[in-house]
Amino acid sequence: MEKAKQPIVRRSLFSWVLDGNLGWQLSLLAVIAVVVFARVLPLEMQKRIVNQAITLRDLDLLLLYCGFYLAAVLLANACKYAINILETLIAQRVLKRMRSALYDHILSLPLSFFRNTQPGTVVNSIAIELVAPSNFAGSAVSTPVANILTLLAFAGYLFWLNPLLAAVSLSIYPVAMIAIPLLQRRANIANQKRVDLSRTFAGRIAESIGGMHEIHGHAAHRIERRKFDRLAEELKKIRIVWSLYRFAVKTTNNLFTGLGPFLVFLMGGYLTIRGELELGALVAFLSAQEKLYDPWKELIEFYQVYQDGAVTYRRTMEFFDVEPEHEREPGDRAPLALDAHLEVKHLSIATGSGIRLLDDVNLELKPGEHLALVGFSGSGKSTLALCIGQLASYGEGQVMIGSQEVARLTKQDIAANVGIVFQSPFIFEGSIAENLLYACDALADERAPTARPSLDDIIAVLHQTGLFADVLKFGLNTVLRAGTHPELARAIIRVRHKFQERYGGKFRDAVEFFEESSYLVYSSVADNLIFGAANREEFTPARISRNDYFIAFLNKEGLHQTLLDIGANLARQTVDILGNLPPDAVFFEQSPIAAEDLPRYKSVLEQLRRRKGGELSPQASSSLLDLALRFTPGVHKMAAMEPEVQRILLEKRIRFRAEVSEDIPGAFTFYNAQEYIHSQTILNNIVFGNLTTASTQAQDLITQNIIQLLIERDLLETVIDIGMNYNVGPQGEKLSGGQRQKLVIARAFLKSPRMLIMDEATSALDNRSQARIQNLLETRWKRRSTLVAVVHRLDIIRNFDKIAVMKAGKIIESGPYAELIDRKGALYELVGKK
Amino acid sequence: MSSLGKNSPEVPCEFKENLDLLRQTYLFSGFPLESLKVFAYLGTREKLHDGDYLFRQGEDDDQAYCIVSGKARLELGDNGPVRLIREVGPGDFIGGLALLGDARRLYSLRAIGEMVCIVLKREKFSKAVQQFPDQMPRIFRAVVEAVIDWEGRFLVALGADCGGCLPRLGVSLL
Repeated sequence: MEKAKQPIVRRSLFSWVLDGNLGWQLSLLAVIAVVVFARVLPLEMQKRIVNQAITLRDLDLLLLYCGFYLAAVLLANACKYAINILETLIAQRVLKRMRSALYDHILSLPLSFFRNTQPGTVVNSIAIELVAPSNFAGSAVSTPVANILTLLAFAGYLFWLNPLLAAVSLSIYPVAMIAIPLLQRRANIANQKRVDLSRTFAGRIAESIGGMHEIHGHAAHRIERRKFDRLAEELKKIRIVWSLYRFAVKTTNNLFTGLGPFLVFLMGGYLTIRGELELGALVAFLSAQEKLYDPWKELIEFYQVYQDGAVTYRRTMEFFDVEPEHEREPGDRAPLALDAHLEVKHLSIATGSGIRLLDDVNLELKPGEHLALVGFSGSGKSTLALCIGQLASYGEGQVMIGSQEVARLTKQDIAANVGIVFQSPFIFEGSIAENLLYACDALADERAPTARPSLDDIIAVLHQTGLFADVLKFGLNTVLRAGTHPELARAIIRVRHKFQERYGGKFRDAVEFFEESSYLVYSSVADNLIFGAANREEFTPARISRNDYFIAFLNKEGLHQTLLDIGANLARQTVDILGNLPPDAVFFEQSPIAAEDLPRYKSVLEQLRRRKGGELSPQASSSLLDLALRFTPGVHKMAAMEPEVQRILLEKRIRFRAEVSEDIPGAFTFYNAQEYIHSQTILNNIVFGNLTTASTQAQDLITQNIIQLLIERDLLETVIDIGMNYNVGPQGEKLSGGQRQKLVIARAFLKSPRMLIMDEATSALDNRSQARIQNLLETRWKRRSTLVAVVHRLDIIRNFDKIAVMKAGKIIESGPYAELIDRKGALYELVGKK
Repeated sequence: MSSLGKNSPEVPCEFKENLDLLRQTYLFSGFPLESLKVFAYLGTREKLHDGDYLFRQGEDDDQAYCIVSGKARLELGDNGPVRLIREVGPGDFIGGLALLGDARRLYSLRAIGEMVCIVLKREKFSKAVQQFPDQMPRIFRAVVEAVIDWEGRFLVALGADCGGCLPRLGVSLL
């Protein structure tokens, strides 16, 4: 196998300077050559202006030299700007490449690394600590070259003017070059500490944020504050020390350079008085001497940038300098197609403290055989499963799949042959489809793109795993924006008529139909008033509470104050119940106020309390109106709605329609059995109403009937397709525990792996779904894929080919179910206990 | 609790009714109002028709029920005919153990006529309990007391006529 090139964490900081930036660095050098020339030229002009033009009283010459002077200054500035641009470009390119390379490296670090590393630490390193090194890389060539050249040019010019004077005035620089590094070394030590401490700091913050529920739960704010303050204090101190040394470097440098003119005046004045030096030459010498200061200062600053960058870089890279346990990709060959024959021989793992997690485990599975690992928690079942999936490293013994040692295979080899379902699945933000194809897509990069499953395959797996009903529900709950699916919208209207015709009467109890004469308890106040979907942006639910036309209508009809009262009451009740709860979907799905808006409504209530009947601020009253318009009594149960208000709103519904139709024709499409409502879900469009029941049985019955209608119209796949695009939210938070588990099982099945590892993969499923998956494993996957399943519930293991009972890291008995039960050993005892 | 504004006269409100019902159950009776409100808010109403099952024997269930109106039959049906254990009605709180862990139902519960109940799911319950960790001991205490009370009443009612069931007594000794 080809040896991969130097890992990023071992690369020197300098290797980034030229790598991939050669062209940019060369153009930078070209600009620098110009800038050095443009910096020296004014000195010569200055001398000539004094010595020639002024002395000879030649106006033409004065104008000519001044012209050159001006041109040189302009050129120097333009070049300086160009240099800055080029440096920034290089620095940003390096930063991006460093970040990508480091992130890539971090992705391949073993899982054990992440058990001991806080996410915040990684974030801090990638997001913040790499900035200083990349800034160094941006100026690594240009600054020293430009400034040393300038320095040499000035120095040469000075020697040319007067060697003695030059030698005296330059004598201070060697002294500075000795003193400054001494101080800088101190600064580096402080900086090193700062980098380490920043990492801890970031990790600690991330940890506290992650455990926020514990902090709230125990009202431990003060403890956390103290912990934080201690670190912040340390960080403050170290930053002060660091800065003090940095400024000491600057001050020392300023002192030295300040001495330069002093020496020149002393020496030069003496020479001029003696007539050995022209006045013009002294002026030129003084200016040139002063000009030395700028490049020197820049060099010293650069020196600091380099030192800080180098320290930060080294510290950061050292932290991540952990060897990945496995090659990621096989490189020069395609991933192996392994024979799914599993052999585990004398496998042992011991922790640092000598506890044997696995102790001489032996087992063999022929291709297509199914094994259930059972035993108490902590007996080593999951560890064994992880070893087989290359997710835990083992010290002694062997794990062989198809006579290949697992530890020596690449990650891709394993992924191409093994499907793993974890106990607590992690779902990434994105659509259902993206998550479902996650495993296949990861392989498709390597294998032929044809490896991607077809829509039929996907739908088959959705059915098998029971995810179909969930995806359909997501599809049915999608709001189709106007113009996106015109054909589907038209077809849905036909489905609606069929639904009415066939089942309309049957679901009176479970559906609140969009009837013009009744108040809809499961619709918002705004929907009840408007009874239609907005065709213009300014009338959409998000903006209606700030719409002047609408507010004028409310005022004219005397509704404004009523709605503000409703909003105030609703805000009071909601804040009262949910005011101190964390922003968890469980708490906020029946709340009219989103978690992030709670603080705003709290301050509105505070205002209400203090003003006691006085005027509210326009923002506060707009917030209350918005809340009232969203109020949906059927969902937001913390407040009730008076029948009298409902009656009034029904009256105003008719008036609003009449008025707005006349004033702004086409602003709304009013609910009408012949038209698709683009503000409502597909489901609501089909039933032409809102579901009012919370009972899953009743909902399932309606869904069943709708599926029937969709199949008749050949629309089922379209709706599924829409459902597949449902966004599951960050970490899949919009899915239930069961849905997540079904999703990851489907993801593994979709890959059709030769070997399946399932670690309590069905523990979050209800009985029916669990039985479905179990049945599927027995009918579809037996003899097709080798299965290692860690099983907690013993009522599902009967039909496995082999059962292995684990205790304290050992397999204490194994064999077919019936045999083990007859033997009346460990399994018999376990089953008896359940 | 904050008072309602003058423009919001008391209207029967589901949340308040839930609150009143839950505070009378053994599990929630000792809860401070602040946390009880959250549980009352998280409970959803379900309406059932004659013969609908709330849960069935043998099923894993993850919710508790508090009956608001109507009645239901608690049934036991092994291989033989279904036997009526007893009827439950408004205010009864059933299945609370399912909030604390996996509970396989040993009985079935069916609605008699129209009935309405508050359903509290385990997921919601445990999320809410996490917010009020101080209440955990109270919950355990309530369950323990309820089990012991239950068996105590059972023993009193049993009197002398138990026959062969004596060796199986003692659920309160768990």
